[in-house]
Amino acid sequence: MLSAEIRSALWLSVEVAVAATLLNAIVGVPLAYALARRRFIGRGLVDLIVTLPLILPPTVTGYYLIVLLGRRGVLGAPLYSFTGWTVAFTPYAAIIAATVMALPLLVRTARAAIESVDRDLERASFTLGRPEWRTALEVTLPLARNGILAGLVLAFARALGEFGATLMLAGNIPGKTATMPLAIYTAVQSGESDEALLLVGILTALSCVVLIAAERLGARAR
Amino acid sequence: MSANSPMGLSVQLVKRLPDFSLEVDWQAGSEVVALFGPSGAGKSLTLQCLAGLTRPDRGRIVVGGTVFYDSDAGIDVPTQARRLGYVFQNYALFPHLTVEENVGFGLRARPRDERRGRVGEVLDRLDLRGLAARRPRELSGGQQQRVALGRALAVDPELLLLDEPLSALDAPLRRQLRRELVAVVREWRKPTVLVTHDLSEAFQLADRVVVYEGGRVVQAAPRAELLSAPASAQVARLMGVRNILSGHVVKAAIDRIQLDWRGQVLEAVNSPSHSYLPEAGTEIAFFIRPEYVRLIRKDRSPRDGHHMNTMAGRVVREEDSGTTWTLYFRLDAPGPPVHGDYDLEIEVPRMVYEILEIARDRAWELSVHRGSIHVLPT
Repeated sequence: MLSAEIRSALWLSVEVAVAATLLNAIVGVPLAYALARRRFIGRGLVDLIVTLPLILPPTVTGYYLIVLLGRRGVLGAPLYSFTGWTVAFTPYAAIIAATVMALPLLVRTARAAIESVDRDLERASFTLGRPEWRTALEVTLPLARNGILAGLVLAFARALGEFGATLMLAGNIPGKTATMPLAIYTAVQSGESDEALLLVGILTALSCVVLIAAERLGARAR
Repeated sequence: MSANSPMGLSVQLVKRLPDFSLEVDWQAGSEVVALFGPSGAGKSLTLQCLAGLTRPDRGRIVVGGTVFYDSDAGIDVPTQARRLGYVFQNYALFPHLTVEENVGFGLRARPRDERRGRVGEVLDRLDLRGLAARRPRELSGGQQQRVALGRALAVDPELLLLDEPLSALDAPLRRQLRRELVAVVREWRKPTVLVTHDLSEAFQLADRVVVYEGGRVVQAAPRAELLSAPASAQVARLMGVRNILSGHVVKAAIDRIQLDWRGQVLEAVNSPSHSYLPEAGTEIAFFIRPEYVRLIRKDRSPRDGHHMNTMAGRVVREEDSGTTWTLYFRLDAPGPPVHGDYDLEIEVPRMVYEILEIARDRAWELSVHRGSIHVLPT
């Protein structure tokens, strides 16, 4: 009943969103902890760079990603000359674009949750002999858990719907980099309004589920 | 002094913050020390420096022969290695852990069996066995306090730090828990530093009191000495002493001081710890405890010879303080009263107030024993 193209767009979208969410957890949670609890040189700059994709037009963020990772990019050129491989226009590019676009949502939500943990609890852990990293794992992060999970759900939703930056870095290759938002664009452009409607419905339903989940987690966090 | 005794505590700290500076230096033996003073005097900051949670700008902290901090020698032992028991103002129990896990939190480095044994022992001693599986939010204030104490004591700390341990509780519960706290602190016999702004708490729990004001220590003394010989009018005021008065020296000797106040000559015992011999005419501060002022009964004549420093006047106002009445007394002596419309506060037990019919009978003579007039160095 679903066409091959729609099915591939759906699975690709889910795969990209899951991968981007995992990357967000690995990179974003430590980043949120550092921003909430540590004073270091360049903290303001890190905060700014992480938050920018929230404000910038996605195409601008995508442009920066090309400058960084494209075949002639700052990191992309050496990678290409060593391996002959470039990340641009591959599914990995879609994952990277979605990760960067979702990161500010996770970092901001997780950071607020971590900041709301009573510092005396961490101090109590220090006086009981726990070093800071163990205090973070055993006290701070468990107590900020619901806020962090809510942030991850939001990041998943953002990754699922990513369009602009993905188009810039990964392109719109059916079956390879065309995620659902891109497939919707293609369908509308080529006048396949039934297909577009179906995709829009699926994406709307998924987003609703995700939002409700985030809301519940957020309510428990408070 | 006790500063060099192996169990002692020696604290010298300088810490400057944008709107506050702490500069203190005090010593204590292996006893319970109360840091007493108004809010914002630097007591909690001192405790945080002792714990290593805040780093002083300069100074030296030695606990039981171990140097925790020495700015000259570049020593700063991290909090984790100081072997502390710290009881926070709001207890800071881990809300996601059970009572048992809270108490065992500081023991994770020990083998499992040993840890379980120690936790069980602490739970038994603090009567918490039945609550082992509960979470902190399911406990009463008193139970939370015991868990906080148990968690701190389970690690066998070299130093127990208590930050306003009773301030989170309301009055009746506080009295009961103060008794429990006294029992626990006495039983465990750890060098203890307690922060409090409640004088009765300081007196019940501590052997030695360090009085703080504005980031400085204004007196450090055994508790008995503090009340009988406050180091200054400032200390007396901080301790809530009433009837702090000012007169002029008439004659000073090693054991007695005569002073002129409101046109009367009063005789006082000179300070037992350090006699002052100020010249005649020098202004001198002194205080008279309201509960040591005696009303002279009119129905007992002829007057016996026990009265000295007698003064005549009237009760102008009174306040019902529950078990006692506070009388505001104005001397008949000419000149304006010291405090607006009265000169002295007098406290009498409720029964005395009723028997003497003070509500009806306002004119009285009173006397103060010379030992109850305390002169204060200025």
